[in-house]
Amino acid sequence: MSQTILTKSGSAGFLNPKKRLTLTWVLFLLPALFIYLTFMAGPLFDSLRLSLYTGQGYTPTEFVGFQNYINLFTNPLWREKFINAFTNTCIFFSIHMLVQNTLGLLFANLLSTDFKGRNFFRTVIFAPATLSVLVVGFLWTLILNPQWGAVNKILIAMDLKQLALPWLGRESLALPVISLTSVWQWVGMPTVMFLAGLMGISDELLEAARIDGASEWDIFWRIKFPLLKPVIGVVAILTFVDNFNAFDIIYAMAGAKGEPGYSTDLLATLFYRTGIAGEHPVGIPDMGMGAAIATMTFAILMTGVLSWLYLSRKQETE
Amino acid sequence: MQKKLFGLLSLLVLLSLVLTACGGGAATEAPAEEPAATEEAPAATEEAPAATEAAAEEITLTLGSWRVDDVAAWEVINAAFHEAHPNITVKFDPTNPPDYNATLRTQLETGTGPDLFFVRSFATGRELFDAGYIASLKDLPGISDNFTEASRAPWATESGEPYAVPIIAVSHGIYYNKDIFAANGIEIPTTWEELMAASQTLLDAGVIPFANGTKDAWDINEVVMMQFIPSNIGGFEGRMAYLNGDRCFNSDEMVASFQQIDDMQPYLPNGFEAVSYYDAAQLFAQGQAAMMMDGSWSIGAFQKDATDFEWGVFYPPALEGKDTYVTFHIDAAVGANAASPNLEAAMLFLEFLESSEFAALLGNNLPGFFPLTTDVPTLSDPIAADFMAFNSNAAGVDIRFVWEKLLAAPSGNVDAYTSLNNNVIAVLKDEKTPQEAADAFNADLAAWYAPAAGCK
Repeated sequence: MSQTILTKSGSAGFLNPKKRLTLTWVLFLLPALFIYLTFMAGPLFDSLRLSLYTGQGYTPTEFVGFQNYINLFTNPLWREKFINAFTNTCIFFSIHMLVQNTLGLLFANLLSTDFKGRNFFRTVIFAPATLSVLVVGFLWTLILNPQWGAVNKILIAMDLKQLALPWLGRESLALPVISLTSVWQWVGMPTVMFLAGLMGISDELLEAARIDGASEWDIFWRIKFPLLKPVIGVVAILTFVDNFNAFDIIYAMAGAKGEPGYSTDLLATLFYRTGIAGEHPVGIPDMGMGAAIATMTFAILMTGVLSWLYLSRKQETE
Repeated sequence: MQKKLFGLLSLLVLLSLVLTACGGGAATEAPAEEPAATEEAPAATEEAPAATEAAAEEITLTLGSWRVDDVAAWEVINAAFHEAHPNITVKFDPTNPPDYNATLRTQLETGTGPDLFFVRSFATGRELFDAGYIASLKDLPGISDNFTEASRAPWATESGEPYAVPIIAVSHGIYYNKDIFAANGIEIPTTWEELMAASQTLLDAGVIPFANGTKDAWDINEVVMMQFIPSNIGGFEGRMAYLNGDRCFNSDEMVASFQQIDDMQPYLPNGFEAVSYYDAAQLFAQGQAAMMMDGSWSIGAFQKDATDFEWGVFYPPALEGKDTYVTFHIDAAVGANAASPNLEAAMLFLEFLESSEFAALLGNNLPGFFPLTTDVPTLSDPIAADFMAFNSNAAGVDIRFVWEKLLAAPSGNVDAYTSLNNNVIAVLKDEKTPQEAADAFNADLAAWYAPAAGCK
């Protein structure tokens, strides 16, 4: 429609109107494209380039080809560090995927029904997402403190002294506890998205099902869940991208070294220590190796996102 | 329609690729040219007046540092310098400690570095000097007279060429709550065994003996373990024996140090694994813990926070029958930016840092940070004076065990600091015995430090 209108209103020029239309479209895109290329794509490609260099300081100059990658996967120490960070990131992601998104779906279901105080709960669930990650990390570090933290004080008052553990000090506990803190903060996000999805489901469908005698359980699994699938896909991919890039909550609660004993070290903290900050007390960064780690993270994210795109495209065409 | 869209999209992608190539080139070239052009201009204009009327020129020098807490003290010091050199003003411009190394490096590489800056000891500072960012001080008058060789060594090449003026050393000790000690009838222990017995008495009385924890990891390593090692190995000479390969890093002396860590474990707070450095300081300042092993740099913080009770310091006593050696760590020096346009003025400031006037100003304005000049000023702060007395009462004084030579592990190896830290925590968590920890420490070093591999 718009094409024909534009064609008619356009005066005759040296370009045929149809081609000019295409050009106009590109012109509108140019400013955004320019910003994207300068501030996103440019640095990204520069980081890929940097991973092929070595040298101390912020402008590594010595070209070494794929030596950084070879070291990363063949040197036992680097390999151990990388695999540890990768495993931890997977655990961090899985806990979000399972707990945060399941809770989000549950909350969205509850909030989509009509009850007194609905707005209150809606606000409560979303409120933590508006706080700064550093504030959340600091608060929970205090709450979980073994000496004066509320959690252990309550446990001791309930005569459960053996459960009053150093939550952030044990290798086996620290990562799940920090993941759950992050879940607590971000659970509002999937809730809002699922709620929007549920609002979009026509009441007629639900009413028809109820008249046919379907239970609420059946309605959820047979009607709501299948219709929510596209939203679930989007939430899953956002969770994946956010968590494989996660850095701030670990930095706030366990420090850049992923204490205790590297048990909370994620790909991003490993990258930060290697490429930017260096390790205490020397603090000399290895930018080339850092870029190699960043590139690997990018590759993992790319693989994840592309396979999701492929699968969802395939499902659509089917 | 779909086909057309696809064609258009691929065109866009192609275009973006081409544009990145151009854009990238332009973006990297343009700024490189611009500063060069702007830099030349002021340099040319500045040089002209410098030649004609050098004395009257107003110069402002910036002093980079990682000591964010010390701004007030440095303003006093810089004011004293300004009085002696009215045309030179020095501005103290600190960066957050964890970001300091990275920030300084970026500044130096992009030509925006401060004229003067704090230089870390040994490997970190040496790397900047080798890269040409720090001016050599071999012609600075007085540097060899005002400082001992031991003080200069962390900022000098093997041939003795200095590149920074040492200004600050820190000490370590056990801060103790005098009221709690008195209430439980405890005297200051003179041997490790007495200290452990006293800790048991305190624990039985329901007091946390030591406030220290391991959440932040570095403190248990730097202010606890590295205080045990010197007395066990015999200070500087002992350390040299390890560095030269005359002793292995899992020698009996090292096992004994790990054993002391193990001895301490029952006397740490409940859940010490999750007690951070600041938590520990709070436990002590609130009077919940009787002792805390900490550095002299905390004097000021405790004077502000621990006001409800009397407190003092003593040095961790050696094992029965051993002499006490004190860790007096040479921590900071100031160097001049080799690319500074005001290098001459910067050198004047460095000369000022050698004076006894500066030493007295530093020692008294920053209690707990000790000047390194050979003529030691008297310190007005009683706790700082107590720390200084550790040195004169000890059999010997040395820097922290791992700093010299053992930090610069080649990529893919574990440096001594990290290895020691991991093994100390493993002992505290009952994952390793002291002997196993010492063996692991030795193995980590033998992997890259030749004398450790061939040790006797």
